Amino acid sequence: MSADLPDELTEELDKDEVATKAWDSAVLARLWRFARPHRGKFALSFAILAGLFFLELAAPWLLKHAIDGPIAAADAARNASESGELDATPYVHTLLFLGGGYLLIILLAAVFRFLEENQLTRTGQAVVNDLRTHLFAHMQRLELAWFDRHPTGSLVTRVTSDVENLNELFTSGLVVLLFDMIKVAVVLGLLFVVSPTLATLVLLLTPVLVGVSLVFRGGARRAHRSVRARLARTNGYLQEVLSGIRVVQVFRREERVSQRFGAHLAAYLAANFRTILLFALFFPIVAWVTVLIQAGVLLRGGSAILAGDVTLGDFILFWFWLQVFVGPIRELGERYNVLQSAFASAERIFAILDTPPGITTPAAPRALPLPFHGHVRFENVSFAYDARVPVLSELSFEIPPGATVALVGATGAGKSTIVNLLLRFYDPSAGRITLDGIDLRELDPASLRERLGLVLQEDFLFTGSVRDNLVLGRAGVSPESLTRALEASTASDFVRRLPKGLDTELAERGATLSTGERELVAIARALAAGPAMVILDEATSSVDSATEARIEAATHELLRGRSALVVAHRLSTVRRADKILVLHHGKLRESGTHAELLAHGGIYARLHALQFREPDAELRAG
Amino acid sequence: MRRLYGFVQRFLRHRRALLLGIGCIPLISLCDIRLTLWFGDALSRLSAKEDPAFLSRLFVLLLGVAAVQGLFRFLARWWIVGVSRRVEVELKQDLFDKLAHLSLAFHVRSRSGDIVSRLTSDVENVRMLIGPGSMYVLGSLFMVPGSLWVLFHISPGVTLAMSFPLLLVAVAMMIMTPRLQRYSMAVQESLADIATHAQESFAGIRVVKGYGLGEHENRRFRAASETNRAHQLDLARARGVQDAWIHLAYDLAFLPILVVGGWAMIDRTLDAGDLFKFVDLGFKVFWPVIALGWIAGLYPRAVASAERIDEVLEQRSEIVEAQSARTLARVEGRLTLREVGFTYEGAARPALGGVTLEVAPGTTLGVVGPTGSGKSTLLNLLGRLFEAQGEVRLDGVPIRELDLDSLRGALAYVPQDSFLFSDTYRANLEFGAAQPLEEAELRRLTREVAMEAEVAAFPNGLEQLIGERGVTLSGGQRQRTCIARALARDPRVLILDDALSAVDTETEARLLANLRQAGKGRTVVVAAHRLTTVRSAEQILVLREGRPEALGTHAELLERSRWYRDTWERQRMTAELEVL
Ligand SMILES: Nc1ncnc2c1ncn2[C@@H]1O[C@H](COP(=O)(O)OP(=O)(O)OP(=O)(O)O)[C@@H](O)[C@H]1O
Ligand SMILES: Nc1ncnc2c1ncn2[C@@H]1O[C@H](COP(=O)(O)OP(=O)(O)OP(=O)(O)O)[C@@H](O)[C@H]1O
Ligand SMILES: [Mg+2]
Repeated sequence: MSADLPDELTEELDKDEVATKAWDSAVLARLWRFARPHRGKFALSFAILAGLFFLELAAPWLLKHAIDGPIAAADAARNASESGELDATPYVHTLLFLGGGYLLIILLAAVFRFLEENQLTRTGQAVVNDLRTHLFAHMQRLELAWFDRHPTGSLVTRVTSDVENLNELFTSGLVVLLFDMIKVAVVLGLLFVVSPTLATLVLLLTPVLVGVSLVFRGGARRAHRSVRARLARTNGYLQEVLSGIRVVQVFRREERVSQRFGAHLAAYLAANFRTILLFALFFPIVAWVTVLIQAGVLLRGGSAILAGDVTLGDFILFWFWLQVFVGPIRELGERYNVLQSAFASAERIFAILDTPPGITTPAAPRALPLPFHGHVRFENVSFAYDARVPVLSELSFEIPPGATVALVGATGAGKSTIVNLLLRFYDPSAGRITLDGIDLRELDPASLRERLGLVLQEDFLFTGSVRDNLVLGRAGVSPESLTRALEASTASDFVRRLPKGLDTELAERGATLSTGERELVAIARALAAGPAMVILDEATSSVDSATEARIEAATHELLRGRSALVVAHRLSTVRRADKILVLHHGKLRESGTHAELLAHGGIYARLHALQFREPDAELRAG
Repeated sequence: MRRLYGFVQRFLRHRRALLLGIGCIPLISLCDIRLTLWFGDALSRLSAKEDPAFLSRLFVLLLGVAAVQGLFRFLARWWIVGVSRRVEVELKQDLFDKLAHLSLAFHVRSRSGDIVSRLTSDVENVRMLIGPGSMYVLGSLFMVPGSLWVLFHISPGVTLAMSFPLLLVAVAMMIMTPRLQRYSMAVQESLADIATHAQESFAGIRVVKGYGLGEHENRRFRAASETNRAHQLDLARARGVQDAWIHLAYDLAFLPILVVGGWAMIDRTLDAGDLFKFVDLGFKVFWPVIALGWIAGLYPRAVASAERIDEVLEQRSEIVEAQSARTLARVEGRLTLREVGFTYEGAARPALGGVTLEVAPGTTLGVVGPTGSGKSTLLNLLGRLFEAQGEVRLDGVPIRELDLDSLRGALAYVPQDSFLFSDTYRANLEFGAAQPLEEAELRRLTREVAMEAEVAAFPNGLEQLIGERGVTLSGGQRQRTCIARALARDPRVLILDDALSAVDTETEARLLANLRQAGKGRTVVVAAHRLTTVRSAEQILVLREGRPEALGTHAELLERSRWYRDTWERQRMTAELEVL
């Protein structure tokens, strides 16, 4: 939360708003792949639009026939008759007949309109639904390092608003745009049929309109993108402050975060004003050009009418078809906008879909042989999150079948990293890890994870009931195993005291439980499915020692004969392990049983001595 | 309407721009009608075979009026939409400020996704209605009556006949809107479901991956997506019916123009130019009429949104500063607690009760007890994150009467969950300090929490970005960073909530020694599970199920508290066992 310099912020924002191509046929081709399975639906949408278009043209045509037909005839008859008197009945009949035709047309149009809305949505939603689930599933396959790099908020935006933008693309965007082009071409042809002279005039003036639209769209694209990017920033910041509100308040930083939010808002507002200016200019200019075309048609058409080249009906028909012609061109900018923002979204989505999972399994992964032994071997494993900073180097050790191995070491030594590698959240940069003799990279991940009980250092409770959090949709959890796990983790004590027991709803991240209670739930969750192997990373760091001892005794029973990897800072937690590994700066420095290590007199012995040191070494704030 | 009044007031703060913008709207309509009339008149004169010489003058006039109209259009949009954006930003800022100050209890009970949506879609709904919405409504209010009035003067019969279908449009809107409303609510909710689901799935990705829940998550996501699709189709159907209705009713308006108007032409009571005026103005009132309906549709949604926004704005923080809050010029750090207790919302029993004690300036209070016994709760009450029952005093002043700046300014707190911001390492340390820190100061802080070497090893040093919630740090590094952030404040009262749980014993020893140095002259309240951490404190409070069991020094508690003795023995025993 550095000092807030709106200028700096703006600059940084602009860098982020990378320009994309206006019309990206590569993106389009890829989108088509998602649209293809639904091409029948697209064809139907097109047919409906065509029907509607036809009806739209028919109404002015009827008007022309009324004016040039009965009305002109009556006029002529009246002029012909000496008295100026006229029996209007036959003419009115024709007129009524035309009116009937009109009624029929608009009824049909109503039906088509209903179908249009339905069909377009159906089409768009079909594609969007496929794309969204596909995208989500792909993200689930991506490795943890990728998630470390991307803020949760922006990932959520990908599967929500970006996908919705694509929906626009398929509904009001692409299909309609394509159809609009056809419309323009067809109507232009029709205008030539009605009056070639007037149509030529229109053809000459149209480029002005198109030009305005094109100029506008360029600016709109940029403006639009920066509005979106800044809005996303603003919302992301809001989200973060909300999740850290306790820290904000206790440090009395309400003003500071508020100013920073204000800077985000100011940037957002500035971008918005650019958009407003563009649209405020665009709409009036287009309207003016439209009047220019109409006035031109009137000027030219006036003499044509007098010369008898064009009938009055023709002129009126021309006038209203002209509106059908101009409409799509006027909206080109707007549509383009939709299209553009959809393209930007599509790009962001494809960027994710193009990210190959960094952690892959071979096409024919090897399943773990039965019976499962839980024999883990690290062979010369090296690893770094960032190539510049090695975290583990040349690490070799073994968890024999059924043994409990403990990892100890200074903070930041790489203990959790070993857990991350064993879970295959990351792959080692050198060396290999095997489980029951199979390299983790060849192993079917499903077959491993089903057998695993897991407590992570940063565990996570989902919103939902306590029970949901324990079961996690796993088939292996029965009511009995659940009860057993609750007892063993001692979570049953406090769960009983919750207002609705196991069915109590938890707040976000389990915020309504104490930190220790959250750990107990995580332990119960690890035990609930009867795991064949457990990994406990600082599972009881926030639990009091009586509870810890109870958990230890109970899980000892429950996990007899199963392999376990235990990470802990409190040596009391690890002393019963079959083997203790001491990690120092990513290297294995000592290993052996508790007694052996004490006798050895190395790091472990020193750590141990410190744990119950003399009072003078302790916190004395006096 | 009353609901929206407050928001209208917000718009009125920009009265000048707003009034100017609104002033343009009738002028736009006037120009629009004028244009049609001129076109129509020209046709009349042409059908009467008049000399076309007048056309060139008319041409210039038409373009001139159109240009003037364009100018008004520009100004109206610039002013009105501009104001609406300003109001949006002001409203968001107000909401944010409110949220930043609302008590923790509020934040625990609300979902962050829901709050975010109030600041985004709800604000947008209100903005749309009062900003662009009112622009369109006003436009319609001038355009529709104006056009009908002009047409009425040409032919009352045709005008009346075409007004009925227009009325029908309004009726169709009114009938359909509630249903549409329901469906669009359902769509919104299902979208929110998708977002919530994705949010949790990504935030908890380690657990999801660790347990191989990918398929499970995919299934649930697919279900949420399907639900959304179903609602979208319902909405489309309703909208299709509405659309069809509106267009039908509107198209019907042209039937009398065609038949009655045509008949009148046969009778020579109307000429071609008049008919043209009917048709052209008919087209021109179409959008205004639709806009009215559109606004009518927006209205209920905006009211619902306004309610949701007001809910936040009117939310009263349980933590309020007293009217004449007292400030403390110099805080000594004496804490006095009398019968302090607390019950969480919706909890069956109090989390804490009956705590009475005094912490002299510069001394340390240790707080110990089993999991869930109320330690964190007690610590939270000191900073008035929740409002305590009973009384908490700082330097003899009840913290309820103290202004929050004095109280929290004197405090520094290390949370149990080690929350860090996704910013640079430096920014996270500076978060605690009143002003940007000197390099030497930063170095001292990292040294104090035994992180100097680790920070130096970061590829970007102090400028290292540490990821969301500090994910790229190890557990112990996160915790030590939180301690450094607290020390950066140079607090009178330091509150440590189990702040050494994730560090190894060696680092712990170094930290304790450093903290002892840093803690000199400060009041320290420290909750811990390892009794060695609190052993030398002047006082130790033992909490059990929220009640104080005993208070005393280490030696006294060994006598007086069974829990303390047992725990000490257990921790001691394991140590001795280990030596054997
Ligand atoms: N996602 C990550 N990206 C980059 N660096 C990381 C990441 N996770 C951990 N590190 C770095 O790797 C090193 C080892 O971290 P690790 O979490 O394995 O330590 P640890 O031994 O578990 O420590 P602790 O006892 O504090 O939990 C640390 O220096 C840490 O900063
Ligand atoms: N926001 C909340 N809403 C409802 N109940 C809560 C909330 N926060 C905590 N509790 C409950 O209050 C009790 C005391 O919680 P507290 O966090 O003070 O315990 P603690 O002593 O700090 O435990 P730990 O050692 O696990 O940190 C617990 O039973 C917990 O479930
Ligand atoms: Mg706690």
